[in-house]
Amino acid sequence: MADGIPTTAGRFALAYVAGALLLAGYAAWHYLMGHYARILLPTLLALLLVVAAVLRLTVANRPRIPAYLTLIAGYLLLAMELPWLETSASLWVGLAPVLPVLLLPLAPALLLNAVMAPAWLLLSGEPLDGDLTLSYLAAMTLVPLALWEQRRQRALLLATDPRDADCQALSREGLHAHLASEFQRTELLHQPLAILVIHLPQVEMASEQFGNRARQALLDTLCREVSRCSRRHDFLGRQTPATFWLVLPDTSESGAQLVQQRILQALEPVVLLDTGPLRTHMGLCQRLPGESWQRLHRRLLEFTRRLEAQ
Amino acid sequence: MQSKYKVGLMRLNLLAGALLLALLAPRQPQLPGALLLWLGVVWLAVTAVLLEFSHRRPPLLPWQLMPGLLLAGLLWTAPERYALWLWLWPATLLLPQPAWTLVINLLLATLSWWALYPLLGPAQGLFAALALGVLAAMAIARRRQPQQLVVRQRVRLVPGLPLWPAHQLQADLSREQARCQREGVHGELLLLSVPRHQLWTTARALCHQLHEFENCYRLDSRTLAALLLSRDAAQAEQRRNALLADLPAPRRVRFVPLSATDALDIPASDFPHQLLTGDRELTHG
Repeated sequence: MADGIPTTAGRFALAYVAGALLLAGYAAWHYLMGHYARILLPTLLALLLVVAAVLRLTVANRPRIPAYLTLIAGYLLLAMELPWLETSASLWVGLAPVLPVLLLPLAPALLLNAVMAPAWLLLSGEPLDGDLTLSYLAAMTLVPLALWEQRRQRALLLATDPRDADCQALSREGLHAHLASEFQRTELLHQPLAILVIHLPQVEMASEQFGNRARQALLDTLCREVSRCSRRHDFLGRQTPATFWLVLPDTSESGAQLVQQRILQALEPVVLLDTGPLRTHMGLCQRLPGESWQRLHRRLLEFTRRLEAQ
Repeated sequence: MQSKYKVGLMRLNLLAGALLLALLAPRQPQLPGALLLWLGVVWLAVTAVLLEFSHRRPPLLPWQLMPGLLLAGLLWTAPERYALWLWLWPATLLLPQPAWTLVINLLLATLSWWALYPLLGPAQGLFAALALGVLAAMAIARRRQPQQLVVRQRVRLVPGLPLWPAHQLQADLSREQARCQREGVHGELLLLSVPRHQLWTTARALCHQLHEFENCYRLDSRTLAALLLSRDAAQAEQRRNALLADLPAPRRVRFVPLSATDALDIPASDFPHQLLTGDRELTHG
């Protein structure tokens, strides 16, 4: 996940640079054909796209600004050139509904397309009751379907994948669902249940000072060592970005203390590149006899808050 | 999370697309063009009807290729009428799809550009190709990676139901076997064969019958499995009877105790053939 973001930025920057080259080529074409008045706009827009590419690479958390710059460049060029194109305007006008979908999120793209459709149809110079209007509207309706499908797949994955996106642990939703079912199971089978709360105080600081990689190293180390120290049916879940719950079914208090001890011993020799020795705060939470799910859950949340405030 | 996402709006968009194509189709003078448009209408309408928020129907491959093939067909048969749809290609690249359909779509896009080339002439044709390339680059940058196989094997099939794919059973089974032995719990594997069209309703009914800590699995298009846990054999017997009484008349059922390691020591995908064959109607393991 952490590596995916820079490559996406790189790919977008590459696409913007390709767009800039295309516009520069278009300007050169006008120069060769002697249309000196039409050179200025594509040249300026090519520069705008270069700016967009640079922005995309340097300002990582604002991908919308270069996208809007590119959209403006595309719209301006199309609006200026359509009246000159005569018969082939019916080809190039098709760019208008596609650009927002490629560059903007779904809702703004839909809105922009709906608002701009009459303007583009008028600019294309074809009769409004002809086939062109219908096929333009069809294109406008069909293009966003790709974004809808992307959205559906992403939401579906979030709703069905119990694991955390960053590390080998359950996500918060997955953890709570799993813990609730484990609570029922131990109750039905009259077994004890223990939860080990593990707080990593360095996580927040690591991502602020050393970036994503240091944070990832912390999370990976913890998940690896914990899974080495636990049984197959114990499970680790990420309750908050820096706090994990290790659920230990059928484990008495002394057994859980043993696990805690083992994890501490395993983490003790760990020294990470950026953050140094790995520090943890740990605490045990045992289900009390006859305790209800709501009470245990509340107690766990309270306990986690106190541990994080330490 | 599951309730936040609504499939309805996407369905509306699909139907709007179908309507526009249906308006366009009767205006076509040539038969192939009209035929392809009607095919598009049917495809969009069927997709809208089948669309749902679950992994129940994994995206079928021919299904993903359809938009590209239809588009290529239209641009090839009547380039002069649908020239503006050349720009739909980046959208087909944007769809979540495996790498090889992406390559096919790129090839089809090149082919349809070639069909348009005589209309455009060399200069415009070149610019169109380059512009298409830039848009394709943007679409590919924007594309989300399709779910990796590993992920797809681990997700629930329907949001909110403890219904998992067969791969998950393999992992869960050996874990539960060890755990049941350790904890002295009576565990059973329930195998249930039902007619194909009843699979999903039966799966739903079965999931509602299970305890929260028990999981249900879809082994193939007509076989379901579930791991049942009870304190002892007597309680297990009660549960079996309760389950069988409540499920819609199944074809074949078998309960295999998890302690029967020999019988279960085969890949989970073989369970339907190995453990459910013969005339073992309603036998209890």
